[in-house]
Amino acid sequence: MAECSEISLVLGAFEDGELEPHEMQEVARHLAQCGGCEIELAGYATVGRELRALRIEPDLTGFSAAVISRIRASESPIRARVGRSLGRIREQLWSALPTAGLAAAVAILTAVILTPYAGRILDRVLPGSELAQLKSGAGVAAENLAAESGRIASAVHDSRTVISRLEARLPSVAVWSEPRTDTTVIWLAEQP
Amino acid sequence: MRNLGRQDGDESALIERARRGDTEAFATLVERYQRRVVGVALAVVHNQDDAVELAQEAFVRAFQNLKKFESRSSFSTWLYRIAANISIDFRRREGRHIVLRGEDAEAEISRVPSAEGDSYRAAARNELGQRIQSALQQLTPEHRAVILLREVEGLSYDEICGVLQVPRGTVMSRLHYARGRLRVILKDLAEG
Repeated sequence: MAECSEISLVLGAFEDGELEPHEMQEVARHLAQCGGCEIELAGYATVGRELRALRIEPDLTGFSAAVISRIRASESPIRARVGRSLGRIREQLWSALPTAGLAAAVAILTAVILTPYAGRILDRVLPGSELAQLKSGAGVAAENLAAESGRIASAVHDSRTVISRLEARLPSVAVWSEPRTDTTVIWLAEQP
Repeated sequence: MRNLGRQDGDESALIERARRGDTEAFATLVERYQRRVVGVALAVVHNQDDAVELAQEAFVRAFQNLKKFESRSSFSTWLYRIAANISIDFRRREGRHIVLRGEDAEAEISRVPSAEGDSYRAAARNELGQRIQSALQQLTPEHRAVILLREVEGLSYDEICGVLQVPRGTVMSRLHYARGRLRVILKDLAEG
């Protein structure tokens, strides 16, 4: 059995339930046989009780409001302004999100319709009438592009309209220059 | 062991909202812990008016430093530690004397806590209370803080270690000494 002097050192922790389980058991065994330590333990309990009785609960009415008021007052004006501006930007970003999403969807749909590969897939997937509707918009742009290409091609084939000046000093070399279209053609005669 | 820490999902959500600057969420946390934070400050400075003021300052600092709080640790212990540190600093400053004259002195005198403002002194209405009060005053601030945190505020040994940042052995030895002193006084009173 432990000595009273050893038990006395841990009586407070025993009262608080802060000892390891085997220590709690050892102190409890000692207390069951030692009236002196039991009185000392009762004295500790009295100390705690009397200290708690001394305490008067402070009036904390308005405490949290005072804290929040101090927090707001401690914010510097610049910091508060920056905070408010960031808040507004954040709100605007959130409100613009649906519009941005819709724009992205339209862009993706347009790209899909104009891509030939996707067009082949659509040929397989969509019924003919729906596909015709989808293609009708793109068809107008394609016709315009074809007309422009035709004009350029006819100009290239009809070299007489393009070549305005012939420059050649050597008999086996001819150079045509056309400043309007910034085109230069170098012709080399075939060697016999 | 009494567990005072409470970090459920609700509390984590409140902390997260307060981190983003939501003062309403922080006000809820203040209301949850204000009584005990005042108690921690009171255990160190031993004056209710000062304790309430210091507790408010502790909450303001906690709000400003919420980003530093690691969610895996106990919010309450973190809060109590801030309150204890501020109160210990205050107690150190309190030792200095400032000479004030004229209106400054009058203004300062009006801020001196009244006898009613000191919870422990006001509660010492009978001889037993006065004797305990006297015994508490005879303890060093360190011993007094530990026994009040334990007996009045009900903090566990681990919480006291975290709040005062001292080893568990130090907490146990300070408690043993303080209890012994108070028990002797109470025993003398009972026998006398």
